[in-house]
Amino acid sequence: MELLVALGLIAIKVALLIAMLLLLPLPLTWLERKIAGHMQQRMGPMRVGWHGLLQPVADGIKLLTKEDHIPAEADRFLFKLAPILALAPPFVVFVAIPFGETVSVLNAEITLYVSNLNVALLFVFAVIGLEVYGVIFGGWAANSKYAVLGSLRTCAQMISYEIPMGFAVIGVVMLAQSMSLVDIVRAQSDLWNIVYQPIGFFVFFVAGLAEAQRIPFDLAEAEGDLGAGFHTEYSGIRFAFFMVSEYVIVLLVSVLSVILFFGGWNGILIPLPPLLWFALKVAFFIYVFMWFRFTLPRYRYDQLMAIGWKVLLPLSMANIIITGIAFT
Amino acid sequence: MSRVVDRAGTWIGWALFADLASAFTLTFGYMFSKPVTMQYPDKEKWLPYSRYRGHHFLKRDEEGEIKCVACELCARICPCDCIEVVPYEDENGNRHPAKFEIDTARCLFCGLCEDACPADAIALGQQYEFSSFSSRDLVIGRDDLLDKPGKAMTGGGVVAARLNTDEDVLVETSEPHGYNWWRNIRRT
Ligand code: SF4
Ligand code: SF4
Repeated sequence: MELLVALGLIAIKVALLIAMLLLLPLPLTWLERKIAGHMQQRMGPMRVGWHGLLQPVADGIKLLTKEDHIPAEADRFLFKLAPILALAPPFVVFVAIPFGETVSVLNAEITLYVSNLNVALLFVFAVIGLEVYGVIFGGWAANSKYAVLGSLRTCAQMISYEIPMGFAVIGVVMLAQSMSLVDIVRAQSDLWNIVYQPIGFFVFFVAGLAEAQRIPFDLAEAEGDLGAGFHTEYSGIRFAFFMVSEYVIVLLVSVLSVILFFGGWNGILIPLPPLLWFALKVAFFIYVFMWFRFTLPRYRYDQLMAIGWKVLLPLSMANIIITGIAFT
Repeated sequence: MSRVVDRAGTWIGWALFADLASAFTLTFGYMFSKPVTMQYPDKEKWLPYSRYRGHHFLKRDEEGEIKCVACELCARICPCDCIEVVPYEDENGNRHPAKFEIDTARCLFCGLCEDACPADAIALGQQYEFSSFSSRDLVIGRDDLLDKPGKAMTGGGVVAARLNTDEDVLVETSEPHGYNWWRNIRRT
């Protein structure tokens, strides 16, 4: 009986999580277009629903009813596999992400995470690394030069930015003496990590921008020179998979920034419910992502590589050394 | 000395991401400035300037007689060859067009017909909403041309309007003047 209840609880949590992650891209696309519009003195979507609020729904219906086109010379198996490979890892990662401590529902204490892995951070980085397969397969299978170029770029970019990203969080692990994300947040209840780890955060955030393939590092889908990069040949629902995966990664990087460097659900000054604090911080980071997108131009490919290997990697190593010397 | 200071300043700015910061403040400022979007056709509509070259119209003189003398000069000068004039002579011996057709699907709204006309009979007016599903509907005959609205008297503004979805797709407005669209442009 105990086991059944526990299993049922996990099933409910997973279902909720998946529903949230699948639905969240809808308001995020709306938000992104609105922010883009207002930053360019436009209005963004206005005609579907109040201030265009239903626009993402209309877009979703459009994508679902569009013809699902597969190029003639494409590798059909990989072509169909790629969107799923791109979509699954960001979802899997959220298994290890805590959203808060506990809430009590019907006198039972329910934890706000699916599982508290003691190697959560490692798990997150290992699984998110798999996302690159979706991108590579997608670009390769489409048999289109733009897609191949886009996926080659992405491949190099993701691999080289994962290294500084991984190094950047080592400082956090040293401070918390744990790889469990829950413990990391608990360790920040007095003072947020950003105070100790400004360099670490900087490296993590820049690498996160690259990992999420957002401007200024969106070389994978540089609209100007590559059509749409690795998903040039995708249409309909498969294209929607890539879009959802992109937004989930944006969410993931925001969530990780908050958990690792900005105290997770620990609030400051104003006593708000922890979950609300968490949501507010994540929302802020998502906004920053979009703000970056509509402010900065795109880096050239060699600049991207130079930043990754010559700036971020030394910085993240220096951060480890400084943290090691200062906190032992 | 000052060069050294300048260079030091550049380096300090570079280290503290001064250029990034100014870029972000700029876009943030823009985010809260008023959009310049004209919400046509839902809420607003553009009133053209009086020099605007829209749909052609034919003029009448004081007696209500059509001014055109069917000289066909407009048809000759038209670079798109889209005017067709067939003259006739009425009982007083005056020439008038029996048929005057403009194929607005081919017209490029250059206004040469207006310039060439010796009788000041044709001009390009203010109407700009005459899209159609069939290019045949875009061939406009003499009587329709006589009824078309003339040059804009005021204009050059944005007025409140509403989309009239009942009959034709036309955007209705009753306001004669509007606000100047340029007022919302940010100049920094
Ligand atoms: S505006 Fe130009 S193209 Fe149009 S009918 Fe007149 S002369 Fe021809
Ligand atoms: S509109 Fe003017 S130019 Fe054209 S036929 Fe009539 S009088 Fe001649």
